[in-house]
Amino acid sequence: MDFNKESQVSCSWYAQIENCLLQLLWHLIHVTIDLWYFPLGIADVLESYLISWGLLGRYKSFNVTKLRYLAIVVDSEEVFQTSKIIKLLQWLEAVGIKHVCLYDNEGVLKKSKNFILEKLDGTILFWDAHENDVLSDRQHMTLEFVSFSDGKEAVVKAANVLFMKYSKSGATDQNQKDEIFTESQMSNTLKTVGSGGPKPDLLLVYGPARCHLGFPAWRIPYTEIVHMGPLKSMNYGSLVKAIYKFTMVQPNYGK
Amino acid sequence: MLSLRFAIPFTPTKTKPKPGLVVQSGWNQTDLLSSLPRRCESYKLQAATADLTDGRGASVVELPEGLSRELMPKHVAVIMDGNGRWARQKGLPASAGHEAGVKSLREMVELCGEWGIQVLTVFAFSTENWIRPKVEVDFLLSLFERALKTEMDSFRKSGIRISVIGDSSKLPASLLGLINEVEETTKNNTRLQLIVAVSYSGKYDVVQACRSIAERAKEGQIQLEDINESLIEQELETNCTDYPYPDLLIRTSGELRVSNFLLWQLAYTELFFAQELWPDFGKEEFVEALSSYQQRQRRYGGRHS
Repeated sequence: MDFNKESQVSCSWYAQIENCLLQLLWHLIHVTIDLWYFPLGIADVLESYLISWGLLGRYKSFNVTKLRYLAIVVDSEEVFQTSKIIKLLQWLEAVGIKHVCLYDNEGVLKKSKNFILEKLDGTILFWDAHENDVLSDRQHMTLEFVSFSDGKEAVVKAANVLFMKYSKSGATDQNQKDEIFTESQMSNTLKTVGSGGPKPDLLLVYGPARCHLGFPAWRIPYTEIVHMGPLKSMNYGSLVKAIYKFTMVQPNYGK
Repeated sequence: MLSLRFAIPFTPTKTKPKPGLVVQSGWNQTDLLSSLPRRCESYKLQAATADLTDGRGASVVELPEGLSRELMPKHVAVIMDGNGRWARQKGLPASAGHEAGVKSLREMVELCGEWGIQVLTVFAFSTENWIRPKVEVDFLLSLFERALKTEMDSFRKSGIRISVIGDSSKLPASLLGLINEVEETTKNNTRLQLIVAVSYSGKYDVVQACRSIAERAKEGQIQLEDINESLIEQELETNCTDYPYPDLLIRTSGELRVSNFLLWQLAYTELFFAQELWPDFGKEEFVEALSSYQQRQRRYGGRHS
């Protein structure tokens, strides 16, 4: 009996020592991984500063023609930082971006559009420069201002237009219904109700959450979405890096 | 980061669990450092968590370190991208990549069920995928059919409800019949709802919702003046669940797009773009995505002040 008890005790001691060693090994692995990621984070920040100072060759001049339309989403808490937004737009103009869409959920930027336009020489509203959403090359930047009402609410308005068309047509069979309610009809009707607009190639989100906060979804099925962090921490290097990375992307659109 | 739980069994003849796995019923945990002398005399261990159950009758598994059950998203959506690239990297045919993708999905379904996520929506096949080579498309649909047949019993037993959304008009009749059977068989399950989007796109979803509303208006069920956002939301194909809006969207393979998936529903969804290809996306990567989600301050467009 004593022998069995001793044997059990020694087995449990071995098991506990083994567990301790495994725990130590596990924590060592965790520390190693953390030590690996910490310098990567530092390198990322350093790279942003080097880009800002123009010290990295590939970011100094690269072809931005692939980026035809850029959208910026600003979080509701930061949207009143108008000076930051103007600075951001000045950076974009310096990089060579010609068409920018500014979005915030509550439409604060829409209300500030005259103030913003005044601060940027030569910049005009997108819809003053274009009759439709076909992009043209211009010397100065164009700006579009959208809010939540241009998203789901606009789809509802467009849907109502299609419903009226359907009821007036006296359509009774499935084929006629299928001809009225199509994706292309919805796209055209959204333009009619004033919420057309080009599809952005790239959407930059400035805010704490990594989501687009209700940007008109019909326009972003294949848009690259990049979270840039809070607006207060924005920097030129990160902006250029995001745009550069976009120019290197080769989407396959489902193929 | 992975959770570390090591168990000490009652008898000397034990098997060790792998690091990072949560130990379930049959094993108990002990506090190693505090009471070793007492443990030697009478080997009493702390109760396992496995005897707790959640409201849906399933055993509650302890979460990996760093995750909080209270902050777990109710609805997770996944764009399972990268099967083809994974196969090419390994010098395998695309079919091998898709088979490996099914394994990843199986693991994710288990984890969601264990961790209290109520809805998992996966983007299996988009309307744009129809332009792929016919051989690949036929393989994908047959793979889906085989997976449904193989897993039907398992879904039934493990309390998983299956729903399939998308444009079914192009799907083979055999697959349609099987989908109906699986949906019917599992409709009363409550542990986890797995929504599989096949031949789906966000724009298609909005347009079909409008068609449904038009039909109801024609039949006099609703007036045109009643049509609003809420009515459209009710007619979207995600009306098959109590939680139609994903809290978290994960897209694998490093692409930063939503690719026409759940367009209406994603307005306030946290977007997590993972670098790993889908067959390589496992528990560790899922924990990272969930950790990132749980750390965010989500205000759904509003302001604190």
